[in-house]
Amino acid sequence: MINSDMHGSEIKWKRHSSRKAKDAAARLLGYLALGFMLAILISIFAYIIKGGAGAINWNILSTYGNTSEGGLLNGIIGTWELVGMGLLFSLIPGVFGAIYLTQAVSNRHISGAMRLFTDILTSVPSIVIGLFGYLVLVIRFNLGYSLVAGGLALGVMMLPYIMRITEMSFRNIQSEQIMNAYALGADHVNVATRILLPQASAGILSGILLSVSIAAGETAQLLYTASFNSAGLPSGLTHSPVGYLTYFVWNGINQPSAYAHNLAFISAMILIISVTVLIFISKYEDVVGRFLRRVFAPLGAVINRVFIESPPEQGVKGKSKGEKEWKK
Amino acid sequence: MDTKNKFFNFFTFLMSLVPALVLITILAFVLFYAWPSIVFNGTTFFTSYIWNVGISSRPPVLVRGFLVPPNASFGALLFIESTLISSALAILIAFPVSFLVSLGVEMYLPARAKRPLVSLIELFAGIPSVVYGLWGIVVLEPLLLNTIEPWMRSNMYFIPGFSGEVLTGSGIIASGLILSLMIAPIITSVMVNSFDSAPKEIKQGLVSLGATKWELGKYLATNYSRSSTYGGALLGLGRALGETMAVLMVGGGIVNVLPSSIYSGINTMAAAIVAYLDSAIGQGTGINLSALAELSLFLMVISLAVNLLGRRIAGRGALRGVENDKL
Repeated sequence: MINSDMHGSEIKWKRHSSRKAKDAAARLLGYLALGFMLAILISIFAYIIKGGAGAINWNILSTYGNTSEGGLLNGIIGTWELVGMGLLFSLIPGVFGAIYLTQAVSNRHISGAMRLFTDILTSVPSIVIGLFGYLVLVIRFNLGYSLVAGGLALGVMMLPYIMRITEMSFRNIQSEQIMNAYALGADHVNVATRILLPQASAGILSGILLSVSIAAGETAQLLYTASFNSAGLPSGLTHSPVGYLTYFVWNGINQPSAYAHNLAFISAMILIISVTVLIFISKYEDVVGRFLRRVFAPLGAVINRVFIESPPEQGVKGKSKGEKEWKK
Repeated sequence: MDTKNKFFNFFTFLMSLVPALVLITILAFVLFYAWPSIVFNGTTFFTSYIWNVGISSRPPVLVRGFLVPPNASFGALLFIESTLISSALAILIAFPVSFLVSLGVEMYLPARAKRPLVSLIELFAGIPSVVYGLWGIVVLEPLLLNTIEPWMRSNMYFIPGFSGEVLTGSGIIASGLILSLMIAPIITSVMVNSFDSAPKEIKQGLVSLGATKWELGKYLATNYSRSSTYGGALLGLGRALGETMAVLMVGGGIVNVLPSSIYSGINTMAAAIVAYLDSAIGQGTGINLSALAELSLFLMVISLAVNLLGRRIAGRGALRGVENDKL
């Protein structure tokens, strides 16, 4: 079917059949590779969910504990506390840094260097961040095993994702609109708060969700920064260890008892389901974005009225400069 | 500009410097903590595979200006070799599979199936690495131990390294397979994006000259998208080098012996740091911690270098290719 619409069917080269066979073989191998990957994906999900769903009960979900006794509540809450802490540290630098890269850098080399640093920060191995967190945050800065140390270690990893995805969604905004805003006398603050942030909200949300999904599944950064707490929730921001789900998985499967294995499977199931949901929302950000845009539409109307009917007085001096920066 | 804008610009400028500052801080501190070990170990760090924390019950001795426990010696050759072997195996598996997957998705399957399928493949990159480790221990290791490795041993013994003894399911093959699952989505996305971004003229021109889809795919991968092909592979390699928990769980954690066959256990740099940090924390002289910092530094430098190279190659390639016409 594929070949008949590509070759004139009356041309019969000598090598025609072998080329056709190669194409058929490539097609078969392509399908096989895809099928193989999907089969492994299904196998992973099936084993984890089978193991987790078979062992789950309310008692495990509602009590504090470790892999030898009790439940996972400290892990479930601790994971989200740590991720929230990481987001707290990474969201503001990520979004505002992206605003700077989008609107203020006039030198391409400087912005290129900043982007490069952001990119290579994603490739620092997680255990290196963990060791750094232990040596510097836990010991040198005397934070102890704590939410703040663990959150900073996660934040280091979340920051580049948030910054890059935010910047990308700023770049997707029509540049004419931004130039028009500058031409009408808007300043950087106006453009950032009334055009960039509202219009890129879906993209920023997608970046946040992606980075949260990555952070929730991390272990190596947390082992020596958040340590582990089987007694319950951390009592304060510093000097109080935190439990998290990935520890239950790692420690549970290395214990001999069936109970520990069950906890590992349940934790893995919770992790894998939350991560999948987060990733799919962030991947299908355009669908989510349609919803968000409906929410932000009234705001857009306000912006239009402000810019079209009465341009703000304060930014007039910045007009020519702003225009220059937005011309490529 | 008024003060509000000046302040806003300054604030956003500071925020945009944060990634660079964080990276430099991490490098500087890791180097600072690794320094005693760098001086103490010298080149033995890269030539010896004996990792001995020394006898901590005896009083420390002074070597090259640093107090260390007697008998301490830190050779990272095993860890370096383990990391390289498992990552190389991962690339060897993941690269052809990713190429075939992107060929299938891009060339043979209907266009509307592409986005969901690529999202599913990318899901591999999002699965937490401890979950891979768990799956590896529960599913992959028994399968390797009971079926695949005995079969390889009896049928492929003539290949060097394939004739060793099958002891446990963990080790090189398990690590390589799991790493290949983790990096396949990276390579696949880069390839699919690059096939997508190839100019219509090239694709339509080739098809109208009678090329089959396989020939089109091969042409794109070796010409127009060549740099993305290499760049994607390097980005995948960068991820594989630094991967920690999964290879810690299925690697076997061997000590002071080099892997003898493909069925041997391994102990990668990242896994070794996790495994030995716990005992290093209590150490009085600190040289043990410093040696782990040196291991981290080395791991960080090579994985940054590989990633940087991958990004350069993959990024530059987007503009190139049309003039490489060889057909």
